[in-house]
Amino acid sequence: MAINIGIGIGQDKDTLQATREALRLAKSNLHAERIDLAIVFSSVDFSHQNILKLTSDILGETPVVGCSSFALISKQGIFKYGILVALLSLPEGIYLSTAFIKEISSKSVTLAGEELGEKLLYGFKNIRRDLSVIFSDGLMHDAAGFLWGLQEKLGKSFPLAGASASDNLVFKKTYQYCANEVFSDGACGILWGGKLNFGLGLKHGWKPLGKPRYVTKASGNVVNEIDGAPAATIYEEYLAADLVKLREELKRISIFYPIGIFLPGEEEYLLRNILSIEDNGDLVFQGNVPQGSMIRLMIGTKESCLEATRQAADEAKSGLLGKPGNFVLVFNSVSRYILLGRQVNKELEAVKEIFGKEMPIIGIYTYGEQAPLKAINFQGRAHLHNQSIEILAIGG
Amino acid sequence: MLGDEGIINLLGAGSLLVIIFLVIALIQKMEKIKTLQAAVNKLQKSLDEMDEQAKLIVRIDMELNKTQEELNKKISGLYALQRLSREISTTLEESQIFKRIDVDYLNDMGFEKSCGFLWNVGEKKLLLKINIGYSLDETKSIESALDINREKYSELINLIRNKKTASSISLSDSALKDWLKQLFKVESFIFSPILPKEGDTGFLFVGTENTETLINEGDEELITILSNQLGQALENARLFEKTWHAQQNLENKVGERTRDLTNALKEVKITSKRKTDFISSVSHELRTPLTSIKGYASILLTGKLGAVPPDIKERLDKINRHSDELVHMVNELLDIARIESGRMPMNKQQLNLKEIVEKASDLLSAQLKERGIDFSSSIPNDAKAVLADRSQIERVFINIIGNAIKFTPEKGKISVNAHKAETGIQVDITDTGCGIPAEAQEAIFEEFYRVDNPINQVAKGTGLGLALVKHIIEAHGGKIWVKSKLDAGSTFSLILPET
Repeated sequence: MAINIGIGIGQDKDTLQATREALRLAKSNLHAERIDLAIVFSSVDFSHQNILKLTSDILGETPVVGCSSFALISKQGIFKYGILVALLSLPEGIYLSTAFIKEISSKSVTLAGEELGEKLLYGFKNIRRDLSVIFSDGLMHDAAGFLWGLQEKLGKSFPLAGASASDNLVFKKTYQYCANEVFSDGACGILWGGKLNFGLGLKHGWKPLGKPRYVTKASGNVVNEIDGAPAATIYEEYLAADLVKLREELKRISIFYPIGIFLPGEEEYLLRNILSIEDNGDLVFQGNVPQGSMIRLMIGTKESCLEATRQAADEAKSGLLGKPGNFVLVFNSVSRYILLGRQVNKELEAVKEIFGKEMPIIGIYTYGEQAPLKAINFQGRAHLHNQSIEILAIGG
Repeated sequence: MLGDEGIINLLGAGSLLVIIFLVIALIQKMEKIKTLQAAVNKLQKSLDEMDEQAKLIVRIDMELNKTQEELNKKISGLYALQRLSREISTTLEESQIFKRIDVDYLNDMGFEKSCGFLWNVGEKKLLLKINIGYSLDETKSIESALDINREKYSELINLIRNKKTASSISLSDSALKDWLKQLFKVESFIFSPILPKEGDTGFLFVGTENTETLINEGDEELITILSNQLGQALENARLFEKTWHAQQNLENKVGERTRDLTNALKEVKITSKRKTDFISSVSHELRTPLTSIKGYASILLTGKLGAVPPDIKERLDKINRHSDELVHMVNELLDIARIESGRMPMNKQQLNLKEIVEKASDLLSAQLKERGIDFSSSIPNDAKAVLADRSQIERVFINIIGNAIKFTPEKGKISVNAHKAETGIQVDITDTGCGIPAEAQEAIFEEFYRVDNPINQVAKGTGLGLALVKHIIEAHGGKIWVKSKLDAGSTFSLILPET
């Protein structure tokens, strides 16, 4: 038996109408009576409370997870506006649990991660665990710490795929959904177990440029000095711009020229977007940058970006070990949307080319992607990635 | 044998050699280090040069990306405007025009928030027609802010009156600019008046929260085109509505008139039926006493009840004759009533028109001869076969030819001609009589109508003959009409079904 999935999108201006339409289509595309899970993604211009209220009114006790996003991805295309719903019906032998945690900024992120891990594990005592999929606030200050805490509970090498929820590029508020609750500054997740078959691929396609540099002073996600000079100097030199100018162009710089951390044994550098540039020249990144790291300035092109998508899809497909997949989850960085511009659909086409035109696809654009690093010395521990496309193929 | 001195000397020489060797090695090493250092320096220089090149690459790439972004934005904006314009221009319902602007179009033009207001005469204020990117609460607070802040409100009205697009870069009034930014929760915006030639005006507001979106003149032009399109579409919709209302009124009036006419026709039909029924019953009632009168007069005339003096006989003859006329009249009335009510079925059969006409002329030959009228008929073979009730059609011809004789002066002419027409066989009966005035040409087919002319004043007639003829012809599915000119004769034409 395979996992059944029905996907529907609603694009009415009225939240309730759009939700109703998405659920109706998803139900009609799901060729099963029982619904075991609903994954809900939505663009930000909706009343998120109403989405969840109507969804739980219609689906009753069915677990619901999801989050807001800059844009939605489905087999039919990429949508800047809408509500995307996937309803799943699981075969015998595949289990899942869902859980959430709110108000992360009011506590230690590591402890918050541990708490979510514990909640997910509840009820999974004698069942083999396979994979966890996490949706977290894309504006979370220390996503790496949160991941660390989560993996302390789920297992350091336990497979984890995650997406950082996004908004419409204003970086003000993202939404997470779980059960019938909507919240920001939180995270929710699914823990899969039993006989789940999955393949995970993650790539970005950015290439290093210029000479290697070393982080000489850093703490968490704040880099104070690079090669003994204020961290922002690297951008001042490369772009011939002062701090004021850099700040004006911050979003563009962050997307087109992130920092890449060299990781021994890894094919690609681990990318880090800049969140802000401080007056003293400190660079604040979306993820942690360890002191002593060798870093490079990175540059991406549309071609390298699309090639990375193909590689990630190939990797996910080969992870299924020849068995058929039932659906594909795509967590794609908003940076790639901006870089690709009018060619944004080419990424989806590339995924469809590899998995076949009939493969159900559901996905979002993210502010960060979480997946394990592959080199043996990282012991399968999940890390926060930026600018990457993460493709998770799941089969029953 | 070497002495101690010899050994010492030998050691000294060895040490010297070692030192020399070491010095040479050191020199060589230093040379190597120097060479390596030079290589390192060279490499470092290359690396620095490459880094400099990398800097150049990044700067050029940055410029390229910016240009590409601008170009993408322009292309998307223009493409969205083109599609949106097409949709707006084909919308003829005012309430639907603003609904054509959706979030996708807006995003493609580089904005994510929009509000559109139109002046409402009834409420004497600007009413919201479109809101994209705002929640219900946000929309309400925008509307109430416009209501409360009269000063800024009138400044907005002035902006509309100025008929010029303003934006966060071009608006000189910084207080108003900041107020708009705050009110609509945006960082950059464009405000463009909507100015249809007729009716209420308004404005379109588009904006973005994105701090990095820089609005330029191109964006202003784009939104100005859009608001012009909206104005034009509103104008079209209003014109269409006006025309549509006028047409609706006209249709309603036509409908009303049609209903009136239908009702009148119904009434006419009812009246006509009542008349037919009345005539029918009255005629029946009249026939019985008439038969008795005629019977008694006949008995008296036979003299069986005693000799009848000549002056009484003369009066009895009159009674008898008038009774005959009255019976004839009653019979004709009854026939009309029967035909009208469908109680007289036409026994249609194939007839030879020639025979019918000959029979009629034979019957009337005495009158024709008496008045010296020249009678002729021309009925070609292809127009002789008709489908009709023999006795009724004979009545028709006798009636029409009889009339012709009555109104044709002595030595006049009467001719009967037939030919094939589109809907049957047309027969024309032409005389050289006194003619019928134009105003009477339709009325002569009505019951009891008699043309006011000298002949009618002396000649007898019931005024029912032509009415009966018309009924008989119509009961055959044919029609009858007359063409006539005073003192120039008349032509009665009738169409009969052919076999």
